Amino acid sequence: MNLRFYILRRIALVIPTLIGLSMLTFAIARIVPGDPVGLAAGPQATEEIKAALRQEFGLDQPLPLQYLNYMAGLFRGDWGQSLYTRREVIGDLRAFWPATLELTTTAVIIATLLGVPAGVISAMYRNRLPDHIARVLSLFFVSFPSFWLAMIFQTWFGLELGWFPIGKRLPVLVSPPAATTGLFLVDSLLQLDFETFFIALRHLWIPALVLSFGAFASITRITRASMVEALEKDFVRMERAIGIPYRIIIFKYVLRNALIATVTVISLNFGWLMAGAILIETIFDWPGLGLYAVKASLSLDFQPIMGIAILYGVVFSIVNILTDIVYGILDPRIRYG
Amino acid sequence: MADKQLQPKSVSPSLPGGGRGKGKGGRSARWENAARGLYRFRSNTLSMIGLTMLLFIVLVAIFAPIIAPYPEDAAGKTRVTARLQPPSADFAFGTDKIGRDIFSRVVMGTGLALQVGTVIILLATTIGVTIGAIAGYAGGWLDDLLMRITDIFLTVPALVLAIAISAALGKGILNAMIGISLVWWPGFARLTRSLVLSLREEPFVEAAYGIGAGHLRIIFRHILPNAVSPIIIKMTTDFGFAVLTAAALGFIGLGAQPPTPEWGAMINDGRRYFPDEWWIATFPGLAIWLMVFSWNLIGDGLRDVLDPRSRR
Repeated sequence: MNLRFYILRRIALVIPTLIGLSMLTFAIARIVPGDPVGLAAGPQATEEIKAALRQEFGLDQPLPLQYLNYMAGLFRGDWGQSLYTRREVIGDLRAFWPATLELTTTAVIIATLLGVPAGVISAMYRNRLPDHIARVLSLFFVSFPSFWLAMIFQTWFGLELGWFPIGKRLPVLVSPPAATTGLFLVDSLLQLDFETFFIALRHLWIPALVLSFGAFASITRITRASMVEALEKDFVRMERAIGIPYRIIIFKYVLRNALIATVTVISLNFGWLMAGAILIETIFDWPGLGLYAVKASLSLDFQPIMGIAILYGVVFSIVNILTDIVYGILDPRIRYG
Repeated sequence: MADKQLQPKSVSPSLPGGGRGKGKGGRSARWENAARGLYRFRSNTLSMIGLTMLLFIVLVAIFAPIIAPYPEDAAGKTRVTARLQPPSADFAFGTDKIGRDIFSRVVMGTGLALQVGTVIILLATTIGVTIGAIAGYAGGWLDDLLMRITDIFLTVPALVLAIAISAALGKGILNAMIGISLVWWPGFARLTRSLVLSLREEPFVEAAYGIGAGHLRIIFRHILPNAVSPIIIKMTTDFGFAVLTAAALGFIGLGAQPPTPEWGAMINDGRRYFPDEWWIATFPGLAIWLMVFSWNLIGDGLRDVLDPRSRR
C-alpha cells in the first residue's frame, strides 16, 4: 500500500472519531445538570428572559435537532456564540489558537532539546552516575505541579530578578507583527522585524520552559531505552570493529534508529503539553486557548468548550497522522498497511 | 501452560525462585513472577526511596489530627489576630488570609490527596478493565465499537475533557474526581484489551472453555488474574499524575471548594498573596510535589519490572 493511499485512509478513519467526539462534547454540554442560561442571564432574570435566551440559542429545540444544527453549523464555519461575550466561537478560536500553538511547539522543542541528549547520555553511561542523575532530575521536574512552578518562576525570575516579562505575549505598547500565521516568532521573522522577534521570545521562553518539564521525563526515558536497545545491535559491533569512531556511531547510526520510538513519544507529548498549556496560560496571562477554556468552563459557557474540544481533537489527529509519516521517513522498513 | 508467558527474558540464578525448580507442583508461575518482580523492585534504590517517602506520607495522613497543631483549621476556623503571619514557632508554615495555620491544613489535606488519587485510579481501572476485557475477549463488532469509543476519549487531551466534565457536573471535589476518572479509563482499556487478546489464545483458556466454563468465569477466573501485574503497575505509575490533575482542577477553581484543605485550591488561594506572603502557596505546592515525586519514583521502578528491557 503506498503512502498517499495510507494517509487518505487514516484521514477517513479520523472522521468517525471526530463525529463521536462532537457527540460526546455535545452530550457533556447539554445533558448534564447545571443551568448555563440561568447563569448567563444572571440571578435577577425572569423566566421570560431565560426563555428568550433559550430560544435565541436554540436550546428549546429537541436535542437531536440541536445536535444536527450544531454539526451543520460546524461545517459552515458557524461554531456558535459565547453565551457571555456574544462573540463568535470560531473567531475566538482563530484569535487564541496561535498563542497556544506557539507556546506548545516551543515547549516541545525545548523538551526535545533537553530530553534527547539526556537520554543519549544516560544510554552511553548506562547505570553510571550521569545516567542516575538524568533519571532523578527528569522525575524530579515532572513531579512539580506546573502551575505552581510557573508561579514561582514568574515571581522569582520575572519579578525579582527581572530576567523576563511576567506575562502576556507582548508588551501593550508593542504592536504584534502582521498576522500571517499568528505565531509572533514566525511572523516577525517573516517581516525581518528582529526587535519584535526578541521581545516576543523574551515573553515566550519561561512559560515554554516550565511547560516543557512535563515532557522531559518521558522523552528522556524512551530515548535512553531505545538507545540501549540499538547499541546492542550487531551493526554497532561491526562498525566498531571496522574502526568507526564511537561518537559517529552514536550520532549517525544508533541515534537514528533510536529516534523512531522517540518521535512517537514526542508527538504524544505535544498533545499532553497542549493540555498542560491550559494551566501555564492561566499563570502567565497568556492569551491562548487554555485561558479561554478556563474562563468558559468556570462560567458554564459551553459553546466555546465544545469548539475547543473539537479543535484539540482535530489538531491531535493531525499530529498523530504526521507522526506516522515521519515514522516512515525515519525507518524505510516500515510498510504502511 | 501458564509458565510460558510473562517471564522475564533472562533470569539470573541468584534471583529468588529462579533456581528452585518449582515450575510444576510448587508455587504457580504467577507467584514466581511476582516474587521475581518484587526482587527487581527491591533492588532499585530510587524506588525504595520513593516507597519510604510514600510510607511517610501515609503515616502523616493517618496521624494528621495528632500531628497538626490546629486540626480545626482544616474546617475553616478563623483566627483574625494572626492573619498572614510568616512561618514561626507557632505556625511552622505561616498563616493565610484568615489566620489559618498552613502547616495544619497541609497535614490535614494529605489524607484527602491520597483519597482523591485512590478514587480516581480505582474508578478508572474498573471502567477501563471492564471495557478492555470485554473488547479483547469478545472481538468482532463489539471490540470495534468499544475501541472506537475509547479512541474518542483519546483524541482530546485528558485535561481538556476533565475540565469540561467537571465544569458541567458542577464545582466540587467529588465531581472533579468523577470528571478525571471518566477521562482516565481509556489507557486501562487499551492495556487490558491487549493483554486479554494475547491471553485469550492460551491453551489454558481453551481448556477452560473445553470443560464448559462460562465466558464470565473464563474472563474473571482465568484471564484477568494473569493480566493483573501490568494493570497494577499502570495504576501505580498513574497515581501521581491523577493527584496532580486533581490539584490542577482545584487550582483552576473547579475542584475542591473552600474551606476544604485541598492542596491545589490552597495554591489558588495563596496566589494573590504571592510573593509577599509566599508561604501560603509555596508549602501546599511542595506537598503536592513530594506526593507525586514519591509515586513517580515507585512507578519508575515498577515500569522496569513490567518491561525489563527498559532499564538494563
